[in-house]
Amino acid sequence: MNDMLSGERVMRVNWLPGSDRLRGRCHCGAETEAEDPVEMWEWLLAHPDHPAGGPPPAPVPAALPPPPAHLVTDPAQIRRRPPVPA
Amino acid sequence: MTSIVRDQWYVAAYGREVGRELFSRTICGESILFWRTEAGDVTAMSDRCVHRRFPLSQSPSHLVGDTVVCGYHGFTYGSDGVCVAVPGQTRVPRTARLKAYPVVEQDSFVWVFIGDPDRAGTTRIPRAPWLDQEGWTAVSGMEPLAARASLLVDNLMDLSHETYLHGGYIGTPEVAETPITTEVDEDAGIVYVSRHMADAECPPFYAKSTGIQGRITRWQDIEFTPPCLYKLHSRIAPVGVLPNDDGTDPDAFHVEVVYAITPETETSTHDFWAVARDFALDDDGVSEFLRENNRTVVLQDVVALDVLESVIAGEADGYQELSINIDTGGLAARRLIAKLAGGAEVRQPASR
Repeated sequence: MNDMLSGERVMRVNWLPGSDRLRGRCHCGAETEAEDPVEMWEWLLAHPDHPAGGPPPAPVPAALPPPPAHLVTDPAQIRRRPPVPA
Repeated sequence: MTSIVRDQWYVAAYGREVGRELFSRTICGESILFWRTEAGDVTAMSDRCVHRRFPLSQSPSHLVGDTVVCGYHGFTYGSDGVCVAVPGQTRVPRTARLKAYPVVEQDSFVWVFIGDPDRAGTTRIPRAPWLDQEGWTAVSGMEPLAARASLLVDNLMDLSHETYLHGGYIGTPEVAETPITTEVDEDAGIVYVSRHMADAECPPFYAKSTGIQGRITRWQDIEFTPPCLYKLHSRIAPVGVLPNDDGTDPDAFHVEVVYAITPETETSTHDFWAVARDFALDDDGVSEFLRENNRTVVLQDVVALDVLESVIAGEADGYQELSINIDTGGLAARRLIAKLAGGAEVRQPASR
């Protein structure tokens, strides 16, 4: 796809078709690939000190921790539940 | 810590909402009174009488020529917000004046500047010319949202949600399946997200308004100028029909979907929406269909975001989000808004 913005300081992230990969391009010419948009923006915004080797890969722990519970602190959220018919 | 970006222009109303009746709306937490002078100019000032804080929009407050008379004790203010008369005495206290807001009427909107008025003249007002331009027909409305503005920004920057939340209206499988390209212009303060679908199902919103039968080439190009104005440049054409090399595009249908995202308070938002088209310009049936259909889509978002606001407000801070490729544009918008909140300036274009 063509570039749409024509400014001098445009940062671009292309989602590469047919893949889960993102390709980031800084206005200074630096380019990299990654799979995480958060890491990609951090890498681009580090301009002019883009970390060598691209964004770090997401850490993969040997064993995933259990997902956290969502703690509801507002009683209004709880009172909204309908009663259970007897 | 406020989430509202100050020293910015915000859409406060459509021009058609403001006339010779007193009109009030809360913008970024400030209660503002709007009315038109006899010459037709829109004025904006604080909606509280300096005397005892009676709302000037509240009956029996009323206009007399180019002054507004408080309905409680008769304090009278000019179009610049300065008090010109108080009851029973000739001396008007020097402090009897309302905060006046810079206001500009443009592209069918009434824009108001929230922040230091001295910065209004050098701060960009983004354009949406199709809403009031020869060759285009527009429908528009506003829905109150009981959710913070950032939730609407997230919503609009990632249109993959159309497939799930707006199926049967504007969503088809291809929207969520098609990769996006995201661009950010730091100087101009623009986030641009493109999703070009070469061969897609035509959703009812476009099938019924354009009359296209069969599959389409569908382009969605989002242009967001934080914090307020969001534009979706939508191009619809039969499969394989592309613009000419010279840029002309006579065989496609163009729809400009415009949103103005104006905080009412920290946790509520004015969701201004408009749909402009360059076809069937005089067809009232198409206008009515697009008005009702887009309003339905907006209300689907309103229901979802109102629930989300209530959930967020009722839960502790600090939950980890998970972002994937579809969020690339939304993340860019959030960062640009945070930058503006930190006091960054957006370059004023040479003309507006």
